[in-house]
Amino acid sequence: MMKHKIVEIHNFSFAYPEGKESLKNINLSIEEGSLNVLCGKSGCGKSTLLRQLKSVLAPHGKKSGEILYCGRPLGETDRRTQSSEIGFVLQDPDNQLVTDKVWHELAFGLESLGYDTPTIRLRVAEMASYFGIQNWFMKNVAELSGGQKQLLNLASIMAMHPRLLILDEPASQLDPIAASDFLETVKRINRDIGTTVILTEHRLQDVIPWADHVIVMDEGTILTEGTPREIGKKLKQEGHGMFLSMPVSMQIYMETDSEEECPLTISEGRRWMSRLLENKTPVIVQPHEEHVVRDEGVKGKKRIFVPWQKKDRQIPAVTMEDVWFRYEKDSPDIICGMSMQVEKGEFYALMGGNGTGKSTALSLLGRVRRPYRGKILLNGKDIRKYSDTELYRGYLGILPQNPQSMFVKKTVEEDLYAVIGGRKEKQSAEYPIDMKKSEAIGGIVSLIHLEGLLDRHPYDLSGGEQQRLALAKILLLRPRLLLMDEPTKGMDAEYKKELGQILKKLQSHGITIFMVSHDVEFVVEYAGRVGLFFEGNVVTDKPAREFFTGNYFYTTAANRMARHYFPDAVTGKDVVKCLKTNLWTDL
Amino acid sequence: MKDAFSGCHPILNFFYFVTVLTFTMFVQHPVFLLISFVGAVIYGVVLNGWKRVLRMNLLGTLPGLLIVTLLNPAFNHYGVTPLLYLENSGNWVTLEALVYGLVLGSILFIMILWFSCYNHVMTSDKFIYLFGRIIPAMSLILSMSLRFVPEFISRLDVIRSGQKYIGKDISNAGLIRKVKYGLNMLSILVTWSLENAIETADSMKSRGYGLKGRTAFSVYHFDKRDRFAGMALLSLFCIVLYGCLRGAAFADYNPRILLAGMTVQGRKAPADCPLSLSIVTFASFTAFCLIPPLIDLSEKFAFGRSRKEVGKEISVTYREIYKELAGEKTE
Repeated sequence: MMKHKIVEIHNFSFAYPEGKESLKNINLSIEEGSLNVLCGKSGCGKSTLLRQLKSVLAPHGKKSGEILYCGRPLGETDRRTQSSEIGFVLQDPDNQLVTDKVWHELAFGLESLGYDTPTIRLRVAEMASYFGIQNWFMKNVAELSGGQKQLLNLASIMAMHPRLLILDEPASQLDPIAASDFLETVKRINRDIGTTVILTEHRLQDVIPWADHVIVMDEGTILTEGTPREIGKKLKQEGHGMFLSMPVSMQIYMETDSEEECPLTISEGRRWMSRLLENKTPVIVQPHEEHVVRDEGVKGKKRIFVPWQKKDRQIPAVTMEDVWFRYEKDSPDIICGMSMQVEKGEFYALMGGNGTGKSTALSLLGRVRRPYRGKILLNGKDIRKYSDTELYRGYLGILPQNPQSMFVKKTVEEDLYAVIGGRKEKQSAEYPIDMKKSEAIGGIVSLIHLEGLLDRHPYDLSGGEQQRLALAKILLLRPRLLLMDEPTKGMDAEYKKELGQILKKLQSHGITIFMVSHDVEFVVEYAGRVGLFFEGNVVTDKPAREFFTGNYFYTTAANRMARHYFPDAVTGKDVVKCLKTNLWTDL
Repeated sequence: MKDAFSGCHPILNFFYFVTVLTFTMFVQHPVFLLISFVGAVIYGVVLNGWKRVLRMNLLGTLPGLLIVTLLNPAFNHYGVTPLLYLENSGNWVTLEALVYGLVLGSILFIMILWFSCYNHVMTSDKFIYLFGRIIPAMSLILSMSLRFVPEFISRLDVIRSGQKYIGKDISNAGLIRKVKYGLNMLSILVTWSLENAIETADSMKSRGYGLKGRTAFSVYHFDKRDRFAGMALLSLFCIVLYGCLRGAAFADYNPRILLAGMTVQGRKAPADCPLSLSIVTFASFTAFCLIPPLIDLSEKFAFGRSRKEVGKEISVTYREIYKELAGEKTE
């Protein structure tokens, strides 16, 4: 029986040199050939635990207990064996790439292990074919998309023929389609080759259904483990926050008192619902009365605006009129005759496929790039007529995709002060109002929930915290229009909720929000109006619910699962409500 | 478009260019230079198309050639054949200096032509491969730096727009602010890159970098065609080298113009080199220069023939099948 366990962890604890214990008394065993999902909130010690499984990546600190690899202590397994047998894929697709050519990257690990050229050639060819890399085999890595880069990282690990594959949030930096492709590949590796996989991921919807074993961590301990169905039940019973990250079909199922087996995927969920509602004519319930208040900015298709100030006509915050843009003289148009309007105080989300030019549209609004034809009006005034100070200090706030590109100082607090021209109390171009700077900072800190982080180094924050710090910096310049480029990328459900609430608060104070996003669940929950971007133009824009109920693919998992009975139900809560009404009326 | 010689082993590419360039540089015999020029133009046309070669020659290098030709006699006054007396400096413009200027200018001109071909054929990964053989760590360092430079530039771009968004752009600011904002960006770039480099280092360590006995893999291999081409190049090189050492391409411009195999102003070159050796040397050099275009041509020819043959064979086969079928039916 011992032989089947590839990794065994006995009473393992770990503490960083100066800090509290980040792993407490972990007991875990991983079966050879299984697919394991490790989940938990950000900062619960998932990454720390994974890194302990490979000696060269393990951080320094106090350790106790033992980790066995194939029945032997990990420390006694030499580096060569570990390098080839334990593959480790990290989060960021770019930073893991070492060389400039795809083929060289694939061969890198094998070169380190000292294989001869014919062997490397065979292995590289094999992996390139398995992963479909042969078409871009000779390319520079700089030419690849994010999804391709991460696939290359995986392939170059797989070329070393590992027995154990560890992936630390590998898909969090990818767009949804590339992410599910990537996770699909991981699943295929586990199925075809039989490599043992340990995976952490935010997008549990995509991985939980085919996991053999799920481990939930909380604050450095293992909260519970078992099969996906057991985990769902346990988390529900304990009312744990991680339950919100489980597949939506599971969440809906747990809300009912169905006796059947828990559905894990959309298709299982659909079948389950059909059985549940068999021989019943479903009563159509309008699920979203409670949400109508939310869309007060826009009602119906005519976009009649309910103003806060009693003015007859409102000037829209953003108007794009027939805007055209291309990068080079001879390159194809990225933005083709794009027209749209964002009303004041509205939360507008722009969705669309990857690489279609959504971010380019955002950069046009931020005046980083200029259209060659067409007009962009901000608050009724041509964007070209704004001075830099007018535009960037007081009207427009833009949150870039990489928050790290904005950090200048050693602590969070100093970084915040840096935006408004240092600690000295004097009015300047950055800070033209007479409020005490410390008050302004204090206000922002409590709005964005940065309390307790002020003395930390910006780079030591987690991804979600970094995102919030960047948002705080932007907000210190008091923008009336906030533009955001995929603010939820790589964030877990809890952070998303927090961000959503912050944005709602801002919106309720009249700040206009324009967001480019892939995240259907986030958009449906918080955005007021949604536009679909395709072929350089906004194809349609509708109030969020209307938008999602009409779509087939661009919609939430809950809607895809329940649409044949309740086409208007968009979120999991809606579906539960509809189900309950139906089942209850029948009783 | 990729020509056939680019597909040969990098060592051949490198050997070819080094040989051609050195001979062009050190052998100053006009016939030799003419051969080199023709070779460079032909190969340039194969690689870049005749339009680009012509444009580059007329606009870029031809004026350069003229300038060098005229500059040399203005500063050098050796030689035995005076042409013109310069009043203000009291010097003679001599035929020898003028001719040598022309030779120097042509060398420059031809070298530029060859380098335009070199750039096309010797891509960075071939270069890395060749030098990686000599110093294995070097190839990795080169490859990593080739990855990091574009990465740096794109990161700087991201940082710049990020700073612009908070009103700290260097384009619209006074000098002091410009410097301040610029330094700020640099500091962000360094911190950010170092932070990312930690992950790169992790990725390298986890893939066993630093273990003993690292090998260097390459996508190139030495095949039969490379062996033939290599042998041809090498033997031609030996003939040319022998010829040159024997003085088959002897050339001197100071104080008298003396050229091997030719009589200039009634004088012959001092070297005891038979005319036949000179001819063989020049012919070998011609062949050497023309090997890449020849390989390309033969490959194109072979490809065209093989396609034609495939078409023929298949159509013949099928015609026979149809005939047979028709025959069977009539029976």
